[in-house]
Amino acid sequence: MSDRHENMGVSLDDHAIGSGPHGDALLLSRIEHAAHYLPAQGPIAVFIHHNTLHGFEHLPFREAVESGARVFGCEPYLPEPDYRAAFRKGRIREVDLEAAMRDEYGDRLSEALAPALTRQKLYAAILQYRFPTGTAEELRWYMAEHESLRRVRPDVSAVVRSRFIAETRRWAMRDLRAGTTREPRLRGVESWGDSEWESFALESLWQACRDRAADVPATPEPASRPLRVRDLLLRQTGVDADLLVDDILIPFVAAFLDQGVAHWPLPDREAGFYRSFIHLFGEARHTAHAWHADLLRELSRLHESHTTPLASIRESLAELGVAPADEEQFFIETLLALRGWAGMVRQVETRADRVIRPIPAGSLVEFLAIRLILDRVAANYIAGRLMTKSVSLAELRTQLPLPAPRSRSKEQRAFPLFQLAQIWGWTAADVLQLSPAEMASILTAIETFTTVERRRVLHAAYERRFRTTVFDALMLQARTPAPTPAAPRFQAVFCIDEREESFRRHLEEIAPDCVTFGTAGFFGVAVYFRGIEDAHFTPLCPIVIRPKHWLIEESDDDVAATGRRSRTRKLIGEASRRVQVGSRGLGAGAILTTAFGVLATAPLVARTLLPRLTARIRSTFQRVVAAPTTHLHLERTTAEPGPDGSSIGFSVSEMADIGERVLRDIGMTRVFSRLVFFIAHGSGSQNNPHKSAYDCGACGGSPGSPNGRSLAQMLNDPRVRDRLRTRGIAIPDSTWFVGGLHNTCADSIRLFDTGAIPASHQAEFDRIEGELNEAADRNAHERCRRFETAPLDLTPRAAHNHVEARSEDLAQTRPELGHATNAICIVGRRERTRGLFLDRRAFLTSYDPTQDTPEAAVLTRTLQAVVPVCGGINLEYYFSRTDNARYGCGSKLPHNVTGLLGVMDGAASDLRTGLPWQMVEIHEPVRMVMVIETTPEIMLGVMAKNPSIDQFFRNEWSHLALLDPHSPRLKWFVDGEFRDVEPSVESLPHSNSSADWYRGWRDHLEFASIRSPRSPA
Amino acid sequence: MNIESLMTDVCGPLVLLAPTVLFAILGGLTLTGRPLPEKLINRMCISAGSLGFVASLLMLGLMLAGHSRHVAIEFGEWIHLPNFHLNVKFVFDRLSVPLAILSFLLCSTIGSFATRYLHREPGYQRFFVLLSLFMAGMVIASVAGTVETLFTGWEFVGLSSALLVAFFQERPAPARNAFRVWVVYRISDAALLLAAVALHHLTGEGDFDRALGGGPWPEGVTPLSAYNSLIVGSLLLFAAAGKSALVPFSGWLPRAMEGPTPSSAVFYGALSVHLGAFLLLRVSPLLDQSLILCVLVTALGLATSVYAYLAGAVQTDIKSALSFASLSQVGLIVAEIGVGFRYLALIHLLGHACLRTLQFLRAPSLLADFNSLENAIGQRLPSVDRGRWLSTRAYRFALARGFLDALLLRLVVTPFVQTFRWCDRQERRWAAWLAGPGAESRSKPEEWS
Repeated sequence: MSDRHENMGVSLDDHAIGSGPHGDALLLSRIEHAAHYLPAQGPIAVFIHHNTLHGFEHLPFREAVESGARVFGCEPYLPEPDYRAAFRKGRIREVDLEAAMRDEYGDRLSEALAPALTRQKLYAAILQYRFPTGTAEELRWYMAEHESLRRVRPDVSAVVRSRFIAETRRWAMRDLRAGTTREPRLRGVESWGDSEWESFALESLWQACRDRAADVPATPEPASRPLRVRDLLLRQTGVDADLLVDDILIPFVAAFLDQGVAHWPLPDREAGFYRSFIHLFGEARHTAHAWHADLLRELSRLHESHTTPLASIRESLAELGVAPADEEQFFIETLLALRGWAGMVRQVETRADRVIRPIPAGSLVEFLAIRLILDRVAANYIAGRLMTKSVSLAELRTQLPLPAPRSRSKEQRAFPLFQLAQIWGWTAADVLQLSPAEMASILTAIETFTTVERRRVLHAAYERRFRTTVFDALMLQARTPAPTPAAPRFQAVFCIDEREESFRRHLEEIAPDCVTFGTAGFFGVAVYFRGIEDAHFTPLCPIVIRPKHWLIEESDDDVAATGRRSRTRKLIGEASRRVQVGSRGLGAGAILTTAFGVLATAPLVARTLLPRLTARIRSTFQRVVAAPTTHLHLERTTAEPGPDGSSIGFSVSEMADIGERVLRDIGMTRVFSRLVFFIAHGSGSQNNPHKSAYDCGACGGSPGSPNGRSLAQMLNDPRVRDRLRTRGIAIPDSTWFVGGLHNTCADSIRLFDTGAIPASHQAEFDRIEGELNEAADRNAHERCRRFETAPLDLTPRAAHNHVEARSEDLAQTRPELGHATNAICIVGRRERTRGLFLDRRAFLTSYDPTQDTPEAAVLTRTLQAVVPVCGGINLEYYFSRTDNARYGCGSKLPHNVTGLLGVMDGAASDLRTGLPWQMVEIHEPVRMVMVIETTPEIMLGVMAKNPSIDQFFRNEWSHLALLDPHSPRLKWFVDGEFRDVEPSVESLPHSNSSADWYRGWRDHLEFASIRSPRSPA
Repeated sequence: MNIESLMTDVCGPLVLLAPTVLFAILGGLTLTGRPLPEKLINRMCISAGSLGFVASLLMLGLMLAGHSRHVAIEFGEWIHLPNFHLNVKFVFDRLSVPLAILSFLLCSTIGSFATRYLHREPGYQRFFVLLSLFMAGMVIASVAGTVETLFTGWEFVGLSSALLVAFFQERPAPARNAFRVWVVYRISDAALLLAAVALHHLTGEGDFDRALGGGPWPEGVTPLSAYNSLIVGSLLLFAAAGKSALVPFSGWLPRAMEGPTPSSAVFYGALSVHLGAFLLLRVSPLLDQSLILCVLVTALGLATSVYAYLAGAVQTDIKSALSFASLSQVGLIVAEIGVGFRYLALIHLLGHACLRTLQFLRAPSLLADFNSLENAIGQRLPSVDRGRWLSTRAYRFALARGFLDALLLRLVVTPFVQTFRWCDRQERRWAAWLAGPGAESRSKPEEWS
């Protein structure tokens, strides 16, 4: 547990809990605190990336991941073999390891544990070499299996190995044989060959290590008594009470939260979780399940005595014998037992606006009350069946014997030293020469260098290497960036999303006379939007903003045609709904399956074998009911915005505000090309419950096409331009804005309102559209290097077909790789990084420090959006990758959509939150490296005024560096101050084009400078 | 080469060999411990499936062209005793050919689907080995001409299904649930084996075309008396109930959803769950002989159907909802068989398998489907409330999946286990007494177990 909560526990304990209003408040506040540990993922249709350990953000990162790991029973870092594999690939170097150890242990490293053995030498060997730990039995098996007593470790160098054997031989022949008693092991020594000497050296070393380890007293590991009776019973008897509880609780909570999957809703749902549960089970007289009998008795007692949920929690605490000091921790552990479901109860009760069927506030408390009743009845049942005499649960907690503390055997203690000695070439004689104090300090040093400590150092080295390469790349590229045209032929604004980095790079390579920008993909237009084919409004803006405006899409067609189409759609929709419901019914199901069932083979086979072709055919059919062209209802005539009629849309001055803000954010205030594009993004995939996680995070997990489209339309309005001109942004009359959408999965580009483009611009537009499509092909090609099923020798066109097929394939669990590999966030002018190959790993936010106000208003509002959004994405990926089975939601393959809220594994598991393995598989879990183009003074000023940004950087949830606006110098924020960084290499590798650089590689790539021969001098 | 020999020498053996050889190769190569490339496994699986599919289609064409309704292929008589003989024989008729076609079609489609769905999954090869075993089992069971060959296929299907439920063997829940499925399967296997023994005992034959009467399906007339038909038929009904998750064995159906989506689709949506109904169709001449048996079959089918309809209505996750919907149709198919509508049941079975497979494969699209339906209709989807006339008690019954597992546990498993525990205790006591007083301390049971 973290210090904060321990303190809190102590401060609250002083008050004994009574049943009065004060006691209720205290109990509720403890439950409230415990609820902060629950996953904050809402219903899955809107997937918002957030820091998985959001409840720990007040702590420094390292402390937070390690205490989070203890609270949630998860891993704080990757497994050690992963880091060692990175070491072997050069992804971690020795300098990184040394630096990481120095940062962690400082002067203690030079401490001599024994002659010729410093702590540094010991730790370095432990970090670089792998040796097993385990029970005595496992160790015995390992030694036999690997012939540990006959062959020196294979990773010991030939020199060390032969010296080790030769010195043992000298020692044996001189010292051992010289003694008065003849050493029995040396019988026949005169005729020994190499292999006999090798095994003698190892056996004598092993014996020496064991003998010496036996002299050092072992400290037994302290045994702790678990808080939950279930854990106690499980440890003692192997019977899991949670299995009984889950059997009844999971179906019930799923039915309570269900948003419309079941065809028979929970009766009495309105009465709330607690009442509804008691009503459903408390009135039953018969049951088949033996333990339910106890439960029914208890529930009917609660029903008749009108016990409130809080009173019932208090009863349960008393019966379970939970001490007041342990209550909060006990609630945490109890709620975390089904963290997914409990978290969803929490989300649905607090965000009633995000679901179709809300539940009353206070449902989590009622859930906890029921959970505790089930817990104690199940525990009583199990205890009653297993124990000879009857005891209360409170007695059981104190009386059940704890297992005897296990202390390490001398073999277990000696084994690491035995392995290390081989690595260093120590012989048995060397080990025997150690004094008891030296031996004790070596063993203690080995044993206190636990797996978490080891991985902490390895992880620091892993991040250090990455950080160094990012700093090098930025500093060196900033010296000689690719030239940026002063009068660009066209400008294109994209989302900051790291998936657009490659698209922008390719576009700049195809059209060196263009300029690209990046800004949060809602383009400043925060709206509730309803498309022409949508039934409801969707909020399109970051989750922290609540939109104040509404926007709809309307058909250009006449009313009659539009009505006809919508009636046709409705007819088809109702028919499909009837088929969907009917197929789960009896009579309708029988008729459907008998008469038409065999016809289902056509879509089944076609969609499986020919996904791309089938999708084309389907879209041809859909065109019948889709409006040919549409427009946005953008302008409002009423004073106040609202969701219907003339109150939809924006006033002209609001449009000018939005336009000004976006243009100033990205620094596009002086130079305007004849054509400017705002290209939002979204992702199209099939059969994918996590689809929203691939869409635009800045648009609340939806595609941002209406945002880009409406901004373009606003800025084309002469009245808006007039107003902007008075505010110092003069958009020439010859400039035309176009909105668009980039499908990041199929890599298609769709441009809107192209009919409105002036004839004078048409030819230029056609050329740019071709260039955008070519960039899409190349982008698809670069993405395909990550897909194992896409051959490395595809042409860009074939690669495009490949990704299109992915987006339409029912069987594809990796339609795209989402934000995987994201690791950098750059806030600054594109010209500073133009031409740098960032391997789709960097969020790119355009910001011009030379145009900002003295108090850095633009930077402040940019960081307020960028830090939580990019930080949330980066950290969610970090945790889901580090421990995918627990922080993440595991493999997609057994996922089962439940209640329209989330996914389970199979038919009755906890609700799985976080990201699936298929999304994070290739991700490198590193904290984001955030690089901002500004000065330390300005940055410190922004941080001082924004506590959440300040906390984020000071607690090191991301690395922070500043790129000087006027020179290629970089300062790194470390220990609360900005320090100068020098490049660790002379120059960056360079290549003629992105494709030349990445071709043939599947793995992560170094950053490189792309110098296109076509670029203007 | 005439039509007759084309059927018996080419098509028939191909139908059988395609899946069995595939399993032999895949399984054999897996035993060597070397992982095969995904692409190779996929190619082998698809080509064997397509080969079998084409061969069985050709068989259908030839049978239609030659107006033959019953083609038997014999692989020799393996045991011949005065009152007993064991044939390996396969029969192609109006029942087995459609089912074989269906098995090949669905298994190869699922195989192709799984290639991409399971890409980079550590158990990829294991999945395809089990899928090929399943396909072999389905085809052998479909075209089996004797009760012994049918049993072989039946076992293959059971083994591969249970192992696929436990596909994610690193987690405890799949292993636990697979064990439940396995136990129910074994019990139904035992019933099928008893039925086979009874059939042999009563007629001296295991061959369907003799024990169940000569004519082509479904026109055979069994030589068994009504009483004997009832005995054999009840055992077979018991076996079918276990395999098709009929009442009271329905509890395993939702538990089987632990495997990857394609395996859930092929087993519980499409093929496995229909195998019991197929068995009843195959032995339908027995039903003609015994009215009581017909009543039993119909009643069990209807009971299952109503049960699954109720339980399915309260399910909040898409896979369980689909699996109970599937079960309610299987119940109806069984009832149709009991009433005597053989062809209707067969068509119902085929159509249901196809539609449900598609629905299962599209199960992860639930959210998108809801959304697009709402958009088409232009409003929130009207909620469906099938239980508005029913009581809270009925809801509890449905939510607890009819307490079937609990009932089985209480009425069958617990007494069974207790009996044997009692025997065990007696044996220990007896052994302790024999060993004398000195040995007592060693056999003392531990306090907590």
